Amino acid sequence: MTKKTSLREIEKKTYMSYHQDGLLDIFVGVYILLFGFGILLMTMTDFSMWFVIPAIFPAIMIPIWISVKKRITMPRIGFVKFGVRGANKMMAIFLGLAVAGLGTFMVFGLGASMGESWALTLRDFLISNSMIIIGIAAVTISSLFAYTMGLKRLYGYGLLTLVLFFTGYFIAIPFEYFLVTIGLVIIISGFVLLMRFIRKYPLPQGDKINAQESV
Amino acid sequence: MPKNPSNLKNIDRVIHEPTRLMIMTQLYVVESADFLFLQHQLQMTPGNLSAHLTKLEKAGYVEIVKEFIERKPHTALKLTKKGRSAFKEYQQNLKQVFSDLSQ
Repeated sequence: MTKKTSLREIEKKTYMSYHQDGLLDIFVGVYILLFGFGILLMTMTDFSMWFVIPAIFPAIMIPIWISVKKRITMPRIGFVKFGVRGANKMMAIFLGLAVAGLGTFMVFGLGASMGESWALTLRDFLISNSMIIIGIAAVTISSLFAYTMGLKRLYGYGLLTLVLFFTGYFIAIPFEYFLVTIGLVIIISGFVLLMRFIRKYPLPQGDKINAQESV
Repeated sequence: MPKNPSNLKNIDRVIHEPTRLMIMTQLYVVESADFLFLQHQLQMTPGNLSAHLTKLEKAGYVEIVKEFIERKPHTALKLTKKGRSAFKEYQQNLKQVFSDLSQ
């Protein structure tokens, strides 16, 4: 039996190749880790800095990520620019998640502020089951990205989050410890991928570079 | 035999060569890629890739853009409009040929 190869599969394979360096994992892991530390610091010091972290992190880290990508990935496997089709899908996921989150927040926020009993009951239910809800949200979001980008390890990260948060629901360990654990696991996985990538793709020697320029 | 053998004549021979078909397919799913990326993706030698790219460029299907990024020479490769439509047409023609084949 032959495996059907579609253009979509080739596009996914290209995405996978470009993100096999583990840099995406390291930066996402650091983001989650900082979130966890932020909440931990807030509970310890009453300083609400964790609200600032998600806002400033991308502004600082995205240029660093691009620069690292240029120094580590591009000299080894080259450069690819993905078309608008892929970018549009990613944007659609981001927008969909933002609209869903904002919509839920507005419906329940408004309902609760108006003293609607159903909204209050639902709000209490959401708060008391937040670990499970966040776990399910994490596995859904990571699966969406895993499917769109073809990065299967994102399914694993989502599943890990779900398992940890489910465990956290039954044993009374604060939420932030789980965030720190997940962040660390993703960072370690990212570094393992990076080491493997550097070993697999050493810097090309003069001949290859010359060949590239002779086209 | 296909019902209509003339469909076979419509197959673009520049694209039909397996290596060039791989290059065209890879470039079709991205906006642009450089030489090194294509070489890794398609697992080709620089000489082989270079030769096929020259043929595709001569056919007007691939555009080779030489530029400087941070003072280093960089070669970006992309399908031209003509290349994209030729690839789509090739896909359709090939489908037609196979659908015309009697079981």
